[in-house]
Amino acid sequence: MAEDTTQQIADREMLLQVSHGDQSAFSELYDRLSGPLYSLAWKMLGDALDAQDALQEVFVQIWSRAKTYDPEKSSVFSWAVLLTRSRAIDRLRARDRRLRVVAGSTADETKFAEVTNASTVESAADTVHKNDEAAHVRSLLNNLPSEQRQAIDLAFFGHLTHHEIASRLGQPLGTIKARIRRGLLKLREQIRT
Amino acid sequence: MISEEQQDQAALYVLGLLEPHEAAAFESELNANAELRDIAREFREAAAAMALTAPPQMPPASLKQRIMREIAIKTEDRTVVPLHRPSLGWVPWAIAAGLAVFCGLLAVDRVRLERQLADIRAVDPLMQTTFYTLAPSAPAPADAKATVAWQPGRQSGVIRISNLPAPQSGKDYQLWAVDAEHKDPISAGVVRVDKNGVAQIRFTPVEKAEHVKAFAISLEREGGVPKKEGPILLVGSA
Repeated sequence: MAEDTTQQIADREMLLQVSHGDQSAFSELYDRLSGPLYSLAWKMLGDALDAQDALQEVFVQIWSRAKTYDPEKSSVFSWAVLLTRSRAIDRLRARDRRLRVVAGSTADETKFAEVTNASTVESAADTVHKNDEAAHVRSLLNNLPSEQRQAIDLAFFGHLTHHEIASRLGQPLGTIKARIRRGLLKLREQIRT
Repeated sequence: MISEEQQDQAALYVLGLLEPHEAAAFESELNANAELRDIAREFREAAAAMALTAPPQMPPASLKQRIMREIAIKTEDRTVVPLHRPSLGWVPWAIAAGLAVFCGLLAVDRVRLERQLADIRAVDPLMQTTFYTLAPSAPAPADAKATVAWQPGRQSGVIRISNLPAPQSGKDYQLWAVDAEHKDPISAGVVRVDKNGVAQIRFTPVEKAEHVKAFAISLEREGGVPKKEGPILLVGSA
């Protein structure tokens, strides 16, 4: 297992204090994580209010489930990211159900993601400082072959299953699995270095 | 040594793509295989790093206040002192005292629940949101549509439009709130669709609109107009 970074150790300390009911540690952890988690929720949900509600659920979950965090399984950041992704997926599913009942919408997740990307809403990104870590990961992702990046992107943000990705991209299931695996392996290697 | 198939499963597992029975089988395998656990952890870190590629956004400061308030309430709940059991000799007195305390707790709990309900009403957007479905009228395409989520308390809303082709040069679509207390529709700004005819935009009307009966989209001069002039393309009530 790769050695933990100073930030990961600091996050773990904060979460430990949170698990003991320390609200100031929670506040600090919020300040550290809320930006990337909110960005993720917004990207997946395409709606600021929905993203805020999802983020609220995530942080309340972090507060109440801090004791269940297992450092053997993931860093605090990854734990929080995967909680956020999971809450966002729940909301997308609920939204799909609501749309089916209320409006009979024909928009699927990809179309919705396209709508979001094409949105004319003023992006707060312009006012946010450049995040070195984010820029680094983006550059790592750019090093991946495009088909691997696309498969991981659809799986992670588009909440598509590997079967759906295979059908969407017109590729055999085995190819999609291999692209996701190879992409994650490559990303893992690059993050390590 | 971890096989490619195991790596495939690990990658799908961390992305939550395995079927429940496959995930359960993989978790059994994980429990018995430290090397596989390491791979899964590293895949999890790699997958989570994807979050950093989302366009950076910052949540509003009010969200942190909302969350801190909610966890403060949860903390109060955690610190409620349990009642002590009386010894048998004090049973009648203890029952009476217990009932008194119980009634007191119920009263406190009621106040707390009322406060929580008020907080939820204050912060839960869904409880304050009215949805409007806008249907097309000529000359809009028959499959054009829009949905508005409107929060009168915040005087803001979000409109999602689809299948509305971009207007000709020199024209813009404009959103209007039709309010019972205003003679003319209130402008809620220009709405620009992308090349696919879709848009998702947050808006605030230029004047206070407390009794909105309907929302409408019209075709106007480029940049929008203070008072509606052009034809209505989409309109709908709650």
